[in-house]
Amino acid sequence: MKPIDDDTLQAYADGELDAEGAARIDAALAYDEVLASRVQQLRALRAQLQALFNPVLDEPVPAHLSALLRPASLQAPTAATAFVAASARRGFGAGRRRTSRRWLVPGAAVAASIAVLAVALWWHGGNGLVRMHDGRQFAAGALSRALDESLASEPDPRASIAIGLSFRGADGHICRTFVHSSKPALAGLACHDAEGWSLPVLSAAEKTAGGELQQAASDLPPAVQAAVDARIRGEAFDARQERAARDAGWR
Amino acid sequence: MDSSQAVREGLLPLLPRLRRLARALAGQAADADDLVQIVLERALTRAAQWRPDAALDRWVFAIARNAWRDELRARGRSQNLFAPEEAGVTAADGTSAPAQTLDLAAALAALPPDHREVVALVLVEGLSYSETADLLGVPVGTVTSRLARARATLQAHLGKDT
Repeated sequence: MKPIDDDTLQAYADGELDAEGAARIDAALAYDEVLASRVQQLRALRAQLQALFNPVLDEPVPAHLSALLRPASLQAPTAATAFVAASARRGFGAGRRRTSRRWLVPGAAVAASIAVLAVALWWHGGNGLVRMHDGRQFAAGALSRALDESLASEPDPRASIAIGLSFRGADGHICRTFVHSSKPALAGLACHDAEGWSLPVLSAAEKTAGGELQQAASDLPPAVQAAVDARIRGEAFDARQERAARDAGWR
Repeated sequence: MDSSQAVREGLLPLLPRLRRLARALAGQAADADDLVQIVLERALTRAAQWRPDAALDRWVFAIARNAWRDELRARGRSQNLFAPEEAGVTAADGTSAPAQTLDLAAALAALPPDHREVVALVLVEGLSYSETADLLGVPVGTVTSRLARARATLQAHLGKDT
């Protein structure tokens, strides 16, 4: 009988041999304990590697990854509801660097004048989303609840208010960007303090080319972007930090 | 159905396996998911190049392997994403893993890329030798010899502590 070389033994352990070849090894293993233990070792290593990595299969897939595969027509359920941090991180390992910001905006071109009017109506129209306190505007009602409770990492496609970035500002307060899927969509920045969620900035979504909802690589509305840039230090929260901040009451 | 839609729909159920492969290649969970993101973006960009008679999993795994190689090259490291001593390893389930498991992950991280990708494709993902050879563009004999050497290295590493 030919001696069994290492490559053949490995192929056997990995199930690569045809029936005839495998039968030959089977026969040899029956009386050769050394050979049997080598096969066992080859298979044990494979099993250990599987044990190390297979739990990944049971992990929930991060939403920002599965979102990339959603058809464009489903990416923004009703309007410009979701900031997408998904495509922001380029180059793995460099992922801790500050994220750039993309978000979804309605493709329908919105005349600037209408947008400004819409902001005014939204702001002062008695929709219950804004309250005044000491001359400052604060989130109220559904907006306040969304800021308190919603996580960007767990977007609710039915919600009319979607949360974007969350971060701790230079003054120590936590701020969150949001989009309200009114028509046209409106975006804003809310910062948490002792009085609740103050609203330093609110702005209409910018118009984009095209007539349908689409993922645009546009930045935040300039006013909101500027407000974020003025406050942010370091990075926006990742999913874990966002959840921890919520659990700590945004303090 | 256009190819882009077919690729999107086909990739969704492959995400867990793609993440597993990325973890085996890149090591750390955050790096692995960054890699997955790059891979998905490339796959969607190149969706027109995918032929329905080709297995989508191996097509996207090849993209993953090439993206990982690109990233290694971009970092200018010929061996590893991280030096072995900083290749902190996260157990897949986030809990502390047995010491031997961590040893194995560290040993895998220390393998040269040629060896590591063969281990990831054959022993973790479960591709056959010939599928792996096709994916890598090398002869089957090269796959088996790299696999044997990688195994010997891993086994020696584990053997030190047992």
